[in-house]
Amino acid sequence: MSERRTIESALAGSTMTGPGDRVDYRPTAVMPDVKVVKIGGQSVLDRGRAALFPILDEIVEARRLGIQVVLLTGGGTRARHIYSIASELEMPTGVVATLGKYIPMQNARMLQMLLAKHGGIFMLPDDFEKLPLYLQMGCIPVMSGMPPFGYWEKREEGTRIPQHRTDAGVFLSAEFLGARRALFIKDEDGLYTDDPKKNPAATHIKTITAKELVERGLPDVVLERVVIEYLQRSQWCKELQIVNGLKPGQVLAALKGEDVGSIIRA
Amino acid sequence: MSELISGDGRTHINSRLMRESLQDRGVLSQTDSDRDLQVFPDVTLVSIGGQSIFDRGKGAILPLIDELVQIKRDRSQKMVIGVGGGTRVRHTISIALDLGLPVGGMAQLVGAMEELNAILLNALLAPYGSMPMQRDHFWDLPLYFDAGITPIAISVPPYHFWEPPPEAGHLPMHGSDFGLFQLAEVLGMKQVIYVKDEDGLYDKNPKKHPDARRFGTIKLAELMAQLPDENILDRALFHAWSHAKNLQRITIVNGLSPGQLTAAMRGEEVGTVILKDPAV
Repeated sequence: MSERRTIESALAGSTMTGPGDRVDYRPTAVMPDVKVVKIGGQSVLDRGRAALFPILDEIVEARRLGIQVVLLTGGGTRARHIYSIASELEMPTGVVATLGKYIPMQNARMLQMLLAKHGGIFMLPDDFEKLPLYLQMGCIPVMSGMPPFGYWEKREEGTRIPQHRTDAGVFLSAEFLGARRALFIKDEDGLYTDDPKKNPAATHIKTITAKELVERGLPDVVLERVVIEYLQRSQWCKELQIVNGLKPGQVLAALKGEDVGSIIRA
Repeated sequence: MSELISGDGRTHINSRLMRESLQDRGVLSQTDSDRDLQVFPDVTLVSIGGQSIFDRGKGAILPLIDELVQIKRDRSQKMVIGVGGGTRVRHTISIALDLGLPVGGMAQLVGAMEELNAILLNALLAPYGSMPMQRDHFWDLPLYFDAGITPIAISVPPYHFWEPPPEAGHLPMHGSDFGLFQLAEVLGMKQVIYVKDEDGLYDKNPKKHPDARRFGTIKLAELMAQLPDENILDRALFHAWSHAKNLQRITIVNGLSPGQLTAAMRGEEVGTVILKDPAV
């Protein structure tokens, strides 16, 4: 019988399914100085010019100060609309996730058109390898926040909405690039004890650990749950900052590294 | 459904999910039902092992090609084939680990090694009708089947730079076994057959432990309760399958024993057959 022809390596003969890989691993950060920034879909982009233009002004200002920014976009109401119809048709989660790629892509293209005169450049999800060039040229790269999983998105118990959406894409991008903090621009001051749009008694949370947040078992959270789960075992991205883009100065302050809004720590 | 609604500073399209947080469990559960649409329920996905078959070279590969050609003679047997990457994947990851590359970087790299095996498979099978299928060009599948062409799918899922942090250790969780499972699941296929170099799934690695016990036909829920640490298939596959709605049957057969794949294609109980209890 023909034998396996194996290349000698630390994992040769391994099934690669056991938890114990015994290799010494000293991680290398790819681009640790990059600020990975999400522009919310429903919270910012669906508000149009009034909300978006002041935010872009602050991002352009940050870029002028030499801060390296990569923008990732959310989906918003059009994503909710297609999710709603696709769910009625009992589409598998992988199909729903594939449909969910298109709207953040549109939003990224819109941002690129607005930022073109300031160096806005549209980036496809697999284009991280060109990021050093874009940033050295002073560009503001813009891409969709949706991870590329598409049809390969796993079903979650009890829902057909994909669990990895644009918040997850932002976190995973920061984690790959080796950035310590990911910034989420929304229309609230960050975390609350309940949805402040529905419950006026909700109070603001300035800083919290991922573990504490999970233990509170809130019915609703400001970021995708899977991000809070991953934060607890990440290699690089250890902080998620959520700021209110509708309040002037918050975005620029956050990009300068100030602890405005809410911060969730690993 | 196309009515535009404003008044809170945003413009919404009227839908059940309008203005809602997609993190809210109550909202999320409204989208669920007991079934998922099944697009290709009469198709079998055949996954051929990299380390177990391709790394053995001609002696293991050619008899399997002969068997696939025989199976293809029956046009009613619709199948999609995918392949694993084997020892070259392990070498890639070993080097990447030593260099300290992020897990997303490793995930981005490994697909190239599977693709080498896919090219070999296609070169051998093309005279009898096969074609590489582009990543997610599923909607070409009816055309392939009508023409008697067997599509060869890309097996590594496109998690790439976005591979999530692993639950333990430093290796990417989403490999070719998971990728091919998910392809069959999302398209509502009939079954997946994993062609390896053992007579099925064992409670311990049979290459190291002579007393390893083989599972015959077993329910997924029972298997999950005793899932071996060292496993012939990706762990991510079993966890994803537990939450899935479509796929009912996975068979693991020995590609070094002629006839096992053919029997599994016919739905016979050969190797290890894992069944999803529809009630679960």
